[in-house]
Amino acid sequence: MNNIVKTTGLTKNIKGKQLVTNINLHIHKGEIYGLLGQNGAGKTTIMKMLTGITKPTSGEIELFGQRFTDRSKFILKRVGSIIEYPIFFEHLTAIENLKLHCEYLGYYDDKGIKQALDMVHLKGIEDKYVKEFSLGMKQRLGIARAIITKPELIILDEPTNGLDPIGIKDTRDLILMLNKEYGITFILSSHILKEMEQVVDRIGVIDNGKLLNEVTLEDIRKQRTDYIELLTTDVQKTLYLLENELHISNMKIIQGNRIRIYDLTHSQSDISKFLIIHEIGIEEIQKHTSSLEDYFYEQINRGGTIV
Amino acid sequence: MFKLMFLEWKKLKRHSVIGEVIIYWLILMFMPMFFIKMIMPAFGQSYASAIELNFFIQLGFILFGGSLINQVFIEEYKNKTISLSFRYPISRKKLFMAKVLFISLFVFLATMISFILTGLTTYLLDQVFPIINGQPTDSDISTYFSSMIIGSLIVPLIGFIPLFFFAIWKRETVPTIVCSIVTMQLPNFSSFTNFKPEFVIAVLCILGALSIYLSIKTAESVGEI
Repeated sequence: MNNIVKTTGLTKNIKGKQLVTNINLHIHKGEIYGLLGQNGAGKTTIMKMLTGITKPTSGEIELFGQRFTDRSKFILKRVGSIIEYPIFFEHLTAIENLKLHCEYLGYYDDKGIKQALDMVHLKGIEDKYVKEFSLGMKQRLGIARAIITKPELIILDEPTNGLDPIGIKDTRDLILMLNKEYGITFILSSHILKEMEQVVDRIGVIDNGKLLNEVTLEDIRKQRTDYIELLTTDVQKTLYLLENELHISNMKIIQGNRIRIYDLTHSQSDISKFLIIHEIGIEEIQKHTSSLEDYFYEQINRGGTIV
Repeated sequence: MFKLMFLEWKKLKRHSVIGEVIIYWLILMFMPMFFIKMIMPAFGQSYASAIELNFFIQLGFILFGGSLINQVFIEEYKNKTISLSFRYPISRKKLFMAKVLFISLFVFLATMISFILTGLTTYLLDQVFPIINGQPTDSDISTYFSSMIIGSLIVPLIGFIPLFFFAIWKRETVPTIVCSIVTMQLPNFSSFTNFKPEFVIAVLCILGALSIYLSIKTAESVGEI
């Protein structure tokens, strides 16, 4: 697989405190990679190092197959980003900020600026001062700035922060469109796991500055253990009936009175009807579908396998 | 490099900086006449004395240098806009060099214009309300121009004294400005010591150059966010 970003033993210490330790990331060309972790886990620090804002204490970063050092900062021409929150020169207008960004990158295309603003649905604000923008508008403008030059890699730290539900959906659609149509690789971080689940191809779970796991969403889906959980008035009778009448064998009792059925050949409503017919009182029944959220918490609680 | 310097200008709060420099010009324009009339009439003995006085008055632009350092360096750190610059494919040394050159050029030009405005104002006012004895000689005029060039070169250099320690390392506005004020006044107070003002100015120039050197040399490490 062609790695667009690769880090080896990436470590950052500040004033004796280890922010991230021995991070070995592998981000493939053309994928949407999600960095998952609680606040303070080290996601932003990793992103800052990948974008040259801060330097690693030790370890190496490879971007586009080249070692990223002070001498190879030209690589950053191929990277767009929003780190922490969208930062602008507040006393300048939206268009002045975007033009300034383009001039630093040696990119001169007014149409590109207009197209980027259209993509994030920001119209008629070109001459408005950024200090008058809401957080949501700044976030959109930040995304416009990150995509303006159509970089090969875009790094977005919490891109949906401050956005309303429509803005969140627009951003998601925009990321998917840019990834699909332009082949842009994305690294995203978010604490909204459900949002991430809808966008990313692969995730890296970060906890306490360590990368616990890198896994595709597809693999998580394969590992999923959906089940129906049941609380009845007579556990033993229920078990007997399920095993002998419905021929369900893959189930277990938890907490002494709850039955978890992993064999999902019978639906939740079929099981309910069946038990009612056999005069068993159902106090609780629900189907549980494991999600990225479950996977995330499981990794955090287990400590994961550090990669 | 010129492009990076130009971009520094574009990022600046231009209205406030231009307003500030105009205020400096307006105040300093009348300072020699005011000083001779109200505080030290001895400087009105001749145009040569008035020219000497004006040289020290124009050192006031050291404070303007401090104010520009605040806008170009400290504010960028405080507002975190410096992190935008660090994300561009330009080395931090080059970015810092562009900032230093921009401040140098701006302060140099502002001081140069101030010398011209003050010289003209003082001469014209003296024609209407004679305070300075005699008229300027050819020698006075050439002395004035050389003092203008030397002054415009040393003011930006001395103005950089607070850059490394107070602006880039500590990133503090008030100490930077206080340092500029103290630096600006030191040559005037040299008469209280055994040192000649020229010696004090030379030492300050060396300190300014050292501050620039350290700022650029350590840009990659001390300049870290």
